[in-house]
Amino acid sequence: MKRARSGDEEDPRQNASPAQPQSDGDSSGSGCGLSSADMQHKEDSPGTRREIRSKYRELILSVQKNREDMLSASNNKLTEVLEKANKLFQDVRQPREAALDAQLLVVTTDLGNEKASQLSAEGASFDSVAFTEHLLSYMGLKRLTNGEDGQQNGAAFGYLPQDAWQKVAQRAENCFRAAPSFHYMMGSFHAEPPPPKQRIERQRKAPTKEVKRMMPTQLKKMGDSHQEATEKEVERILGYLKKYYQDDPTSPILYYEFVIDPNSFSRTVENIFHTSFLIRDGLARMHLDSDRLPCIAPVEEGEVEAGGSSIRKQCIVSISPKLWKEIKEAYDIRNPLIQPSNMQPE
Amino acid sequence: MMSHRKKPSNAHGSSQSTSNAGPTATQEEEDDATFTQPSTMQVQKGLEKLTPAQVDQKTAEVVQYFLVKDQKKIPIRRADLVKHVVKEYRNIYPEIMKRAARTFDQVFGLKMVEIDPKNHLYILINKLEPVTGASPITNPTNPKLGLLFVILSVIFMKGGVVRESVVWKILKNLGVDIGEKHEEFGDSKKVVIEEFVRQRYLEYVRIPHTEPVEHQFRWGQRAEVEVSKPNILLFMGALHGQEPQSWSQQYQEAHRAPNSSQSGTSSQR
Repeated sequence: MKRARSGDEEDPRQNASPAQPQSDGDSSGSGCGLSSADMQHKEDSPGTRREIRSKYRELILSVQKNREDMLSASNNKLTEVLEKANKLFQDVRQPREAALDAQLLVVTTDLGNEKASQLSAEGASFDSVAFTEHLLSYMGLKRLTNGEDGQQNGAAFGYLPQDAWQKVAQRAENCFRAAPSFHYMMGSFHAEPPPPKQRIERQRKAPTKEVKRMMPTQLKKMGDSHQEATEKEVERILGYLKKYYQDDPTSPILYYEFVIDPNSFSRTVENIFHTSFLIRDGLARMHLDSDRLPCIAPVEEGEVEAGGSSIRKQCIVSISPKLWKEIKEAYDIRNPLIQPSNMQPE
Repeated sequence: MMSHRKKPSNAHGSSQSTSNAGPTATQEEEDDATFTQPSTMQVQKGLEKLTPAQVDQKTAEVVQYFLVKDQKKIPIRRADLVKHVVKEYRNIYPEIMKRAARTFDQVFGLKMVEIDPKNHLYILINKLEPVTGASPITNPTNPKLGLLFVILSVIFMKGGVVRESVVWKILKNLGVDIGEKHEEFGDSKKVVIEEFVRQRYLEYVRIPHTEPVEHQFRWGQRAEVEVSKPNILLFMGALHGQEPQSWSQQYQEAHRAPNSSQSGTSSQR
């Protein structure tokens, strides 16, 4: 190591180690001025500076390269590095070296942080090797027999059954509060507006179509031989309705009086069913009288409009055996207005 | 109502400088930037000008959008939602979101959760708690879920952060080598650091000052709300033949009071 400046008085110290900051015994006692000036000259030499910097770089490199080693809880290598850095720092005089020191500090702090997080104060430790062993058993690993020379590392340890990961996935499912995937039964989805709107409309139209279809299918369910029977029955009931109406056009026919058969609940239900066709086809109409009781009357010949009419309302009539009994008693119905026909199914 | 700004480069600055932030991140932030949350007054006024049917229709569209986007488990951005679905109804956005949340809750049994309040990302999760133990129903499950489960478990058991080398080593011991094509997962590394990260199940972050570059894994924002830590411990216990309580630190963490660190509850804007 060459020095830029060399005074005569410093020559004797040329052989001394330049990194030693401690002043020798004799110069410490004497006037500080001369010895500190001496020291300054010695330490200002670029060679010294270079050496310090190079030592720092060495330390930084060693920390980075031996990361795994430093992290191990079984040694104090990290502490040793810090101790070395401390010693080195005493020689630091210029910003360049200080910067390196700072860099070393950052690197060792990171490592220290990681090392600390590895410590678990209490409780069982989690051993990943044990974990993988257990998991492999769970997955149904078939290990290689002794005859084959299995490789050390994980990969060719044996054979996992085809559904191994599937098995884990299924067991894992209960750890997730995942929303089930939603799928249309129709095609794929685009982020542009038009497709969603179309689908909404179609979906809304579909139900109404089904409602309209309900009636014909009901008839069909009774079988073709029954279809005529129903039609006949409906006509027969219309006949009764007209007759009663003509008997006394001014007095309204109470709906429940009309449909209820006091002798048979099932026939009552059938009467309601058949009457509903009359309403649907516009051959009869229902209204509420002054007591807000439903009444039924045939529609005049000229007024009949099949299918849609201007004011159409829908209602659902329901009846239960209990209700049937109550109405029977309330209205004091003794005889059915709709006489049971001879050909009653079942 | 909306202010139009020139494209500022990172004027908003992502909240986390994660490696997720791709070139499109700024664009989405920009779109989101033009959306300002309307005030209650504005919402009221907006509602007055619309029929209930119109509002219902728009709500239904939002619900549909969510459901379909959730198929791939990719979080929904508010910016996309406003741009593609809500559109001119953005002045009543909070009302629509409130109704959508109600629909998810009451009709589908799902919770709409804002997993990232800063960047306004939403996901759907199940309202119901998962059953303990193996499910009695055996649907065909995606095997990737098993892979994800292993990684999440390891991260959790190791205190919440794990270096990627640890994960790769464990996977290799299970027959999944990221250097090779896997029979079931294909490019397994890609699945882990791209798909799972995009879905927000995992976070994959650079460790500073590492040379060569190394990353850490953490639980992602979706995992935080979707995954049940107690159930993971139960599975661990069953696997190791130990009581879950024997891992006392993890047990404490798993049974910590909820919402102390979780973000977002449903129907947040």
